[in-house]
Amino acid sequence: MSSKSLTLRNISKRFGNVNALDNFNLEVGVGELVALLGPSGCGKTTALRVVAGLEHQDAGTVLVADKNISDVPAHKRNMGMVFQAYSLFPNLTVEENVAFGLQMRKVSKHLRLKKAHELLDLVGLDSQSKRFTHQLSGGQQQRVALARALAFEPEILLLDEPLSALDAQVRVNLREEIRRLQLSLGTTTLFVTHDQEEAMAISDRVGVMNNGVLEQIDTPDVLYNKPASSFVAGFVGTMNRIPAHISDGMVEIFGSKVVALKRGNETGKVHALIRPESISVAATTAQGNAKVLTRSFMGASSNIICQTEDGTIVQSLMTSASTGDLLPGSSVQLRVLSSEVLVANV
Amino acid sequence: MAKTLRVRFQPPLVLTLLILGFFVFIPMISAFEYSIRTPLTGGYGWTHYIWAIREDDFFHYILRSMWLAGVTVTITLFVLVPTLTWLHLSRSEVRGLIDGLSLLPLVIPVVAFAVGAQISFPEFVQNTVLELPFLYFVLALPYAYRSLDIGLNSIPLKTITEAARSAGANWWRTITAVIVPVIRGSVMATIALTFALSLGEYTLTVLLHWDTFPTWVTFVAQDNILGAIAISMMSLIIPFLILTVITLFVPERSMQGRK
Repeated sequence: MSSKSLTLRNISKRFGNVNALDNFNLEVGVGELVALLGPSGCGKTTALRVVAGLEHQDAGTVLVADKNISDVPAHKRNMGMVFQAYSLFPNLTVEENVAFGLQMRKVSKHLRLKKAHELLDLVGLDSQSKRFTHQLSGGQQQRVALARALAFEPEILLLDEPLSALDAQVRVNLREEIRRLQLSLGTTTLFVTHDQEEAMAISDRVGVMNNGVLEQIDTPDVLYNKPASSFVAGFVGTMNRIPAHISDGMVEIFGSKVVALKRGNETGKVHALIRPESISVAATTAQGNAKVLTRSFMGASSNIICQTEDGTIVQSLMTSASTGDLLPGSSVQLRVLSSEVLVANV
Repeated sequence: MAKTLRVRFQPPLVLTLLILGFFVFIPMISAFEYSIRTPLTGGYGWTHYIWAIREDDFFHYILRSMWLAGVTVTITLFVLVPTLTWLHLSRSEVRGLIDGLSLLPLVIPVVAFAVGAQISFPEFVQNTVLELPFLYFVLALPYAYRSLDIGLNSIPLKTITEAARSAGANWWRTITAVIVPVIRGSVMATIALTFALSLGEYTLTVLLHWDTFPTWVTFVAQDNILGAIAISMMSLIIPFLILTVITLFVPERSMQGRK
């Protein structure tokens, strides 16, 4: 596999008055899977299309293995792409679809069909090779599209929300399959999605985008636990925003003091950003600092929604075994479990 | 595709077919009956057909007209498929304007084209019969344009074009290996419409002083009306056979119209 690194340097792209990409920078290492995550209109798909050569940037350069390909047309970039919409050629059979890229590269029929069958075997669809694409389910069509994108051994694999048109269960299966294939083939991959669970589940690193800018790019773990901005904190996972008071680098929440992590005002009112699993709820017979509003049982864990005395809604995620006595309306004591919290300005 | 086509009894469809049959088949059957009459004996026979086939001019003119029609079809496909693909992909505002312009040949008198051609075409073009296909192309434009437009509207053009390009197809291969086969039905309809219109074009050809099959048939009809009808019947059958052969040899694989 001829996988290569990808670098985007100072890419800007405007559509009329909309700044789709604003001085955008990104590096994807050889064999790495990087997801671009963000709300619709944040520029993630534009970034991918610029890499593919389907859009041309107004400024900046695209480098593959340090070679500038900014002006190379799409068909010469050697990048496999899987699209959000079903993109198979309806006049071709499954095997002909997969062999299409090799046909364009003038590979002999025997070799390209052999390769197509190898790829179809990898995605578990070799038995469907003679069928036409309309005879396949949505999940199967995207598997074929993936095989087609990988058949000509692309330098970079580009995935443009390939799972968003599929059913929940198929999505989970296919994303695992994408990751398995990507790891086994070692293909450098850029994956665009608006689904954070999808991005976190299969990526080496996730880049969170907002308004054409990369807000943070890190491993899923760092992104979740140490979000670099208030936007990232709010976009990735669930985050409580609890009004608190900061002084001398310490935040006072629920009656106890916790170390404040960077950002935000030095003194005065701030919002403490705390994950639901970092808040414990304990039933109390005395006057607690909150009341339980609802308790949602989700199997191993339960989601507890409470309201503090000042009216703030706080969400907590706890193991179900420890939440049996947390009935709606009961008085509870909230506590922050982590020793440090992120703060943001009010 | 035909295997999955289910036709149910639908009164409007039956009525349409009856009207179509009335206007198309009755005149054709009548003409055929007329062409096999032998006035001398009062019976029926193939006299006029045998006469027509023995005429050297018959093959000369029909081949010339078919050749011109073939050139017209080629020009039409080469110009319209890329142009319409571009118009659909660019979502350009000029598309509405071009849609409108493509209808103009229906309202502009043919004599205006003839005069226009004589004024604007360079002399070396006017000196060759090849000036006709360019004008036939314009005359067939309203039909060819719409036929291809419908085909391109019925497919996810942007996605399959981008999929083809990212898989390594340049624009030429994208059009020939992907777009045209996917809209094969529309392309075949365009070929049939353009071919038939070119083959039967008379007014413009006469105005520009060229001889083709229709002008020759008119000439023959002055002396031998039954022979002219026999020739016309054959001229209907020959292109029909050719188009059928083309259809049979192009594999039926398009899934056009399917979601």
